[in-house]
Amino acid sequence: MGRKVGIIGVGNSRFGKRDDVSVQELAWESIKEAFEDSGITQKDIDFVVVGSTAYRGVELYPAPIVAEYSGLTGKVPMRVEAMCATGLAAALTAYTAVASGLADIAMAVGVDKMTEVDTATSLAIGGRGGNYQWEYHFYGTTFPTYYAFYATRHMAVYGTTEEQMALVAVKAHKYASQNPKAHFQKPITVEDVLKSRVISWPIKLLDSCPISDGSATVIFASEEKIKELKIDTPVWISGIGYANDYAYIAKRGEWTGFRATQLAARQAYEMAKVGPNDIEVATVHDAFTIAEIMGYEDLGFVEKGKGGKFIEEGQSEKGGKVGVNLFGGLKAKGHPLGATGLSMIYEITKQLREEAGNLQQPLKNYIGLVHNVGGTGHFAYVMILRR
Amino acid sequence: MMQIDAIPLELKYRIKYPDEFIQALKKGEILATKCKNCGAVYFPPQRDCTNCGKSDMEWIKLDNEGEIMTYSIVVQKPQGFEDKGNYVIGIVKTKDNNFLMAWIIGEPKVGAKVRLTTDGYRLIGEVIG
Repeated sequence: MGRKVGIIGVGNSRFGKRDDVSVQELAWESIKEAFEDSGITQKDIDFVVVGSTAYRGVELYPAPIVAEYSGLTGKVPMRVEAMCATGLAAALTAYTAVASGLADIAMAVGVDKMTEVDTATSLAIGGRGGNYQWEYHFYGTTFPTYYAFYATRHMAVYGTTEEQMALVAVKAHKYASQNPKAHFQKPITVEDVLKSRVISWPIKLLDSCPISDGSATVIFASEEKIKELKIDTPVWISGIGYANDYAYIAKRGEWTGFRATQLAARQAYEMAKVGPNDIEVATVHDAFTIAEIMGYEDLGFVEKGKGGKFIEEGQSEKGGKVGVNLFGGLKAKGHPLGATGLSMIYEITKQLREEAGNLQQPLKNYIGLVHNVGGTGHFAYVMILRR
Repeated sequence: MMQIDAIPLELKYRIKYPDEFIQALKKGEILATKCKNCGAVYFPPQRDCTNCGKSDMEWIKLDNEGEIMTYSIVVQKPQGFEDKGNYVIGIVKTKDNNFLMAWIIGEPKVGAKVRLTTDGYRLIGEVIG
């Protein structure tokens, strides 16, 4: 299990189409905020990992560039990648460095400049988020198609409706419109979602997250270091779980939930010695609206097949059983792949410190959960945070 | 902020497929590999058996009847498919319990029976009820 690890600083850039900055300037926005938040500087850091999928930006190897611009040269030995879960892959790497004793303070920087390439190329890169040789090449899969397989099956088996999925998007936009860092700043209605154009049925444009630029940074430290630095509001990593699933999606044998999430969640709950009913606030990976509904079920917030009801009853709203994606989620806050998982940790850290302002979930036991999926269930990470 | 075009990056790839698989597709047949030692079946075909560690495989024909487990209708087409009309991609469970991806022809429905064939290039599931 290793040493106890806590979070001492978090930063999150504004998400959106960020033509105004280069990848290194974008990364610095969140690195600077994390330094200010923690009260430490570059010299205090032992190890830095950069999480970036990088394929959609002009800098295919962004880590040394980010390191140089941020004054971190010498401490950044790698970039990591796990598709849409790249952020939590970076978090796991930094966490492990501290838990193992290799580093006392480690930083995970997540950044992606996804709008530098044209949209058609971006979609073609996403469509390869499975097994190119046996899927895309013959069948012309797109990234939404993979999630659509889950939506279709969930609808057929459990009676989940397109209206219920639309509610996820409506909730996301409602909270994003109160988060100045979010990609989308306007509320939408169920009708807007249902009337938006079909991308890969049953997934429509407004069921889908946008293509965003953004960065997020988290600084991890050992318990000894946290005492030494006299950090007064550490957030502890109480549990962590990870898993993956088949690349060739047909092989999975079940398309109503992500096995990788179920496995990662079990591992994280066991390590944290808590259960799904203890979670008060969470980020659930909502790249598409069906993903959030499946997430409620896979994480155990609600019985299998009842995810649609869960959103309908408002149980995932602010003040509900579990406040989910109260900063707007991937769907409306935005989804810059490398930054997403770390932005989730930023969000839950703010919530547990009660620094979320208008978007604050009322808390009793201060237990939060972060859930980040890579690809279309190819990777999953679950992290449980406590104050 | 001035926006300019960066130098484009063109990626060209060459990849390989097993001859037997491609020849069978042309005849409307779907092949998988089976380990001669432990009997494990692989689709997509593998030349190495990761179940028992041996690499002595034979080609077998998969059952051509199956059931649609799930599907999607692709409206926004990706690169390489822009000239196609809307198409339906399905996941099919064969009678002999293998799972594969195929284009679906006919009215798609979860649970519908399909006859598996090919169009000479890719797997096709024709809805038969």
